Amino acid sequence: MSQAWVLGQRALREGWRTPEALLPTLFIPLFFLVVNVGQAAKIFPAASTGFLYGQGYGAFQLPSSLLLAASFGTAALFLVEDIEGGYFDKLRASPVSRSAIVLGRLIAEIAKGALIATAIVVLGVIFGISIASGPVGFVLLVILTALWSAVFVGFMQLIALKTRSAAATNSAGLIFFPLLFLTPNFVPRDLLTRPMEIAATLNPVTYLMEALRSLILRDLVWEDILPGFAVVFVLGALMLFLNVRMIRSYD
Amino acid sequence: MDDVTAAVRAEGLVKHYESRTGTIEAVRGVDLTVEAGEVFGFLGPNGAGKSTTVRMLTTLLSITSGTAFVAGLDVAREPDAVRHRIGVALQEAGLDPRQTGRELLILQARLFGIAADAAAARTEELLALVELENAADRRIKDYSGGMKRRLDLASALVHRPEVLFLDEPTTGLDPASRLTIWDEVRRINERGTTVFLTTQYLEEADALCDRLAIIDDGRIVREGTPAQLKADLRERDGLDSDPSLDDVFLDATGRTRSRVAGDVQEVSV
Repeated sequence: MSQAWVLGQRALREGWRTPEALLPTLFIPLFFLVVNVGQAAKIFPAASTGFLYGQGYGAFQLPSSLLLAASFGTAALFLVEDIEGGYFDKLRASPVSRSAIVLGRLIAEIAKGALIATAIVVLGVIFGISIASGPVGFVLLVILTALWSAVFVGFMQLIALKTRSAAATNSAGLIFFPLLFLTPNFVPRDLLTRPMEIAATLNPVTYLMEALRSLILRDLVWEDILPGFAVVFVLGALMLFLNVRMIRSYD
Repeated sequence: MDDVTAAVRAEGLVKHYESRTGTIEAVRGVDLTVEAGEVFGFLGPNGAGKSTTVRMLTTLLSITSGTAFVAGLDVAREPDAVRHRIGVALQEAGLDPRQTGRELLILQARLFGIAADAAAARTEELLALVELENAADRRIKDYSGGMKRRLDLASALVHRPEVLFLDEPTTGLDPASRLTIWDEVRRINERGTTVFLTTQYLEEADALCDRLAIIDDGRIVREGTPAQLKADLRERDGLDSDPSLDDVFLDATGRTRSRVAGDVQEVSV
């Protein structure tokens, strides 16, 4: 674990020293939040829209922005730089456990994800969104978002390790858009058309979004929250396993 | 010499790659032995299999067939134990441009299990060894090519390796930086570290190496001390004086001077 921690510290320094890579992960989700609310808020007035639980449409849209912020996967692009620059080979030629190489980056990604999620939620609160589940819900909101950022970067790292190409890794990140839009992104699942509802039910991101949304709009409703955590733990374990396996067989 | 006492021993080392056009035979059965304490030169034209061989010996590439022992350990069966005993500086200086020189060395030491205080002390020693004390807190992206090479060399030494692999450590450097690296290689070797050095510069091999091997087309075609190799060629061709290492290389690889242009470079320092 100490190897993962020193590599995590290095990855955090890397992120901190590259603010130009970090800032879009904050501004682009906020831009989408403003645009989506601007376009649809009048269709769903707070007073007469039951699924908003008395809040504005911004509260309903906030989870989409959080998930978008957590799905940039910039750490995978840093990994490609390490591969291209030879530092990855330097690590592989050292007696570092292969899981520490993966975990180091994931630790840093969780920290960065938590920081960005906190910033977005605080901005949301400043602009009138309340977190109905209180301080505990706020913490869970940040943790769940941060864990998802580690899962997604784990996926992106698989592409980076397989292709060793920044262009291919960047393109793979676009998979998040279909995953995001095949969810109850604009309305709850029961208001979707049947084919869309089926797609959303099969999409694991749906359960994350519903967990986040529940934390914002309602009190601690565990039957909504736990499936979101189950998704990140299962997918996180899978990504860790696949990443370690790929580094072990990396030639 | 057995596997336990040789610093490096390879037998029938083969590396094949699968590509869209078929199987590429990068290394076709390399046998070599490097004795502990030697500076061993590994020469060959571009694409001859030098780097592939080094990457197999340093656990970075899987071995298709054959055996390799480094510091008495089987590379294929005990890769992690081998990594504890070797230092590696590859062709591209494997550095993280966003860290400072000091941060990189401390990190490398910590990855070898050295405690924080000892890692900091070792870093100071190494910065002094490669004369980078004044640049230690600058980001590596601002280092010159020579400084990066020296830092890479230092990072390969944090754990006092028994065998140091240097893959073309002076390629692309100006003559002054090259001489500095040569001095450091000599100093490291004097302290007891075996050095396995690949190079395209024949004069470098002549100046630094106790023994050398020439690889061509994935096979070792000559092996011996520089003096032996020159004497062999002189005797075989009936020359009046000792040939240069360039002549040995050209003879060994079947190349002419015009054909070799671009493959192997001579440097004057």
